Amino acid sequence: MNTTVMDHNMSSERRPGEERKFIGDRGDYFLNRIQGETNGNVSACYQCERCTNACPVSHFMDIKPHQVIRYVQLGWREDLLRSSTIWVCLSCEMCTTYCPNEVRVAEIINHLRNIAAHSSIAPKEKQLAVFHRTFLEVLSKSGRVNEFRLMKAFYSKPHILSEKIKSGNLKEELLLGLALLKKGRLKPFSTRSKLTKDIRKAYIQSRGEIV
Amino acid sequence: MKLSFYPGCSLEGMAADYARSIDAVFKALDIDLVEIDDWSCCGATAAHSLSEAMSVILPARNLSAAEQMGLDIVAPCANCFNRLRFSQQMIQKKVLDIPWPVTGDLKIHDMTRFLAQPAMIKQIKKRVLKPLNGLKLVCYYGCQMVRPPRITGYTDYENPQTLDRIADAVGARVIDWSYKATCCGASIGIGRREIGNSLTKRLLDKARQAGAEAVVVSCPLCQSNLDMIQKDGLEQPVPVFYFTELIRLCFSERRDPKWFKMHFADPVPLLSKINAI
Repeated sequence: MNTTVMDHNMSSERRPGEERKFIGDRGDYFLNRIQGETNGNVSACYQCERCTNACPVSHFMDIKPHQVIRYVQLGWREDLLRSSTIWVCLSCEMCTTYCPNEVRVAEIINHLRNIAAHSSIAPKEKQLAVFHRTFLEVLSKSGRVNEFRLMKAFYSKPHILSEKIKSGNLKEELLLGLALLKKGRLKPFSTRSKLTKDIRKAYIQSRGEIV
Repeated sequence: MKLSFYPGCSLEGMAADYARSIDAVFKALDIDLVEIDDWSCCGATAAHSLSEAMSVILPARNLSAAEQMGLDIVAPCANCFNRLRFSQQMIQKKVLDIPWPVTGDLKIHDMTRFLAQPAMIKQIKKRVLKPLNGLKLVCYYGCQMVRPPRITGYTDYENPQTLDRIADAVGARVIDWSYKATCCGASIGIGRREIGNSLTKRLLDKARQAGAEAVVVSCPLCQSNLDMIQKDGLEQPVPVFYFTELIRLCFSERRDPKWFKMHFADPVPLLSKINAI
């Protein structure tokens, strides 16, 4: 008898992804936290999958939108923060708009992205995460975002260039950049906002520093 | 009439041609657009992705400046409009500390809905010198202008009509299609090229299947995505117009092909085919 119980708990007997998760009262804790911060109606979800069917990029996600809501209910926090889903989501708001129970799916995914950005978990879609961060950095330096400056800053980030070489996209992207320069769409010189100092201050404060 | 104008960052760079056409159209309509004093970026997708506080604070800076001017705001960029509206709602709820004096009382218009009001459509029709008869096009709205409805205020978010009404007013033949508000991928192509391309290609295919020869948009990022993918030339290019470019064409006696020099899919052959240029 004892052996069966032991077998039941041996993760080697299970296929990957089927490990039993012991969550205790954490489930409620995480659910309440997300519910409180997003006002997202999380508990109303009955898994009809309308969100996933409406999502234009669910094909590229490892945890589908309806599963995200289920994971939140179960408190599977780490799986969510480690997922590609939270970075691939385009915030196009199809899911939220078509949910019959007014679950704010896009807002919940966006909030998970916020939590992930402030955690020690490495983002699964590094380039997408680094791009957002670069955007905010350029913004806080000049108050406005000039596309040429943004792309220059993005490519100067560690590992971005090497990842572009690895994926074989570098040549195509450089050619696109050149074409845009020729068309006059990328402008190497940019205007600034005079209030950049205040914006920079707000940005630093939003990261928890005392100014 | 006087309005404050929030151009947004794209209109200084990738969408400089959009800015020029807006300028021409509003001058012709005798509406005074006053640029918001020392405007700054709305934070776009990056701000709400990484810091929900910044996504309220950044647009609030511009709302505050516009309030000091005392003029309702019009925004040409879909995402700017969406972020300004979102920030306004959060300011009214008073859930965050904003470092700038702001009440959130001004009206924020997206440019298409402003120009699609019955009175404005009348004004546009009155000034059309030569309608764009024979131009078959589909109108593409994208996400941020229409969704989520509780922020944008669109009630016809499944089948929006603002661009349709304007394109109709300038004489074009507007074709109905099912992809009006399907996402173009926004900035995802920068990190995941294949995702961005798959979404944009599908939109162009569907536009062609519907029988359109051109697409009309109002969002700078939608325009860039749909146009840039045609960089190396397609067998059957689909020019992607800003809606103000079409209005400008109809308003002008002398039409300059140079207005379209920033486009990859060159609209000039199509326009000369229908004797519009």
